[in-house]
Amino acid sequence: MRKICLIIASLLIPFTTSATPNPEMIVVCYPGGPVNTKDANEAMSSMLRVVEHIGQWQENRFNSLFITKTDDCRKQMAEKKPKFAIISLGLYLELRTRYHLVPVVQPKIKGRTSERYRVMVQKDKYKSLNELKGLTLGGTVLEEQSFVGKIVFAGKYDPASFFVLKTSNQAIRALRSLDKGELDAVILNEQQFNGLASLHMERPLEAVFTSEEIPLMGVVANSATTTLEERNRFGKALETMCTDTEGKKLCELFGVESFVTADAAVFEPMVKLWAKGK
Amino acid sequence: MLLFLMSCAGLPRDHVQLGQLSDCPKQTSAMLVAKQCQLSTLSDTHTLACALAVLRDTQNPTVRCPSLGSRLCLYLAERETNQEKREKLAAEGVGFAEAALAQGASGDGEVHYYLAANLGLAVREHFTVAMQNLSRLEDEMKQALALSPDIDDGGPLRLLGALYLKAPAWPNGIGDGDKALELLKKAVTEHPGHPLNHLFYAQALWSEGDEANLPQVKAEFALGQKLLAEGNWGYSKEPWKKEFDEFQEELGEASY
Repeated sequence: MRKICLIIASLLIPFTTSATPNPEMIVVCYPGGPVNTKDANEAMSSMLRVVEHIGQWQENRFNSLFITKTDDCRKQMAEKKPKFAIISLGLYLELRTRYHLVPVVQPKIKGRTSERYRVMVQKDKYKSLNELKGLTLGGTVLEEQSFVGKIVFAGKYDPASFFVLKTSNQAIRALRSLDKGELDAVILNEQQFNGLASLHMERPLEAVFTSEEIPLMGVVANSATTTLEERNRFGKALETMCTDTEGKKLCELFGVESFVTADAAVFEPMVKLWAKGK
Repeated sequence: MLLFLMSCAGLPRDHVQLGQLSDCPKQTSAMLVAKQCQLSTLSDTHTLACALAVLRDTQNPTVRCPSLGSRLCLYLAERETNQEKREKLAAEGVGFAEAALAQGASGDGEVHYYLAANLGLAVREHFTVAMQNLSRLEDEMKQALALSPDIDDGGPLRLLGALYLKAPAWPNGIGDGDKALELLKKAVTEHPGHPLNHLFYAQALWSEGDEANLPQVKAEFALGQKLLAEGNWGYSKEPWKKEFDEFQEELGEASY
């Protein structure tokens, strides 16, 4: 009899936990992104409905809050104290201790779960990063200057003192300025670098700096407010998402092949670099 | 038709029931085409529904004015509050325009314009479907802009500008703040009498995130609101007012 009760209880777990009346807020931080937050929240809603379906949660169990400003993100992480969040690597490194953050899944893009950043200049204009001292650097990733300094440049250059920074919320605008000679250099992430071929630039570009491999950040969880079972369940739902009929469309739109379980060890070198950085 | 099904992915196929049409005036499609200029956003819903019913029953589509069916669908869709019905009407408008293109109306800017407007309305609440149709929307709007830039008070400039403003930006999509600003500035300069031209330009300036733009954002918004309040915009007034209200809320909530 006890065994039957346990089986029934275990069968009910997904449904009893999904009956929570208040949706669980997922904070989504996309620093520097040129995103209309209303539209972005709609996109996130589409993704969350798929995750709920796969994870057998009640529809609208989760809700999202999309933010593009780093300061707003810090504020919302403090106020909402979300169980799960989708944040940049820079914010993860900054906030991981305060909110007990652990990586849950990483996106896999073109077979890789890491990326490189590049500083692009007009071809043959500069030969090394050192030649750019005191000159202008643009790009969306500059929204997170500490991340660029400590991780992308591995602590060797402090962006704010080495360059004259021209932050932009549109990578394409920064590249147009580079093309016209209004900027001396632009820093790009891997996705932006891969998109260069689709642009029609007057002058060819080249990279004067390429970073080491840097792991892609995906979903993180607060390990103090979530159980291992909750994290596994959420992670499993995301891992299955790109094979689901509806989820597959979203994955294709975001250019993500799949989500894979995050190995915390992958992030350890980044944690060390962050701690070492000034 | 195959091209349509491939390129305008995810649209509903069935038509909306047009309700009580027994008291519609007896009219042929030729009569309808002759009085097409009288059919506008000011026309009552019953009149538009009767006209659409005639076009639906027309066996010889060459009788149709190329853009009329698509335009009627847009007018009806814009005032429809039920989302499912609105999307079906807009999808039907896309179908009318596609049929016209298949019969050789590709040189008619109005056909491309109403196709794009209907397509945008049909997909805008569905993120994945909207994303799948982005390049089709851009292509139709570009053709409308090249062929008939001045229809509907700069409609092609307005729609294409709004598309570049709201679509995901490069490298994820066709969104482009520079292009949006350029087109919408041109729309307010060349067609200053349309309220949405000012609203969308205000939104484009606002999206720059530059505090220096704030006075101009407010000025464009106020001018658009004034034009909306004082003009005779018929059944379009309510949905447009909703767009203004939503942006006003955003302006009130946000701070640079």
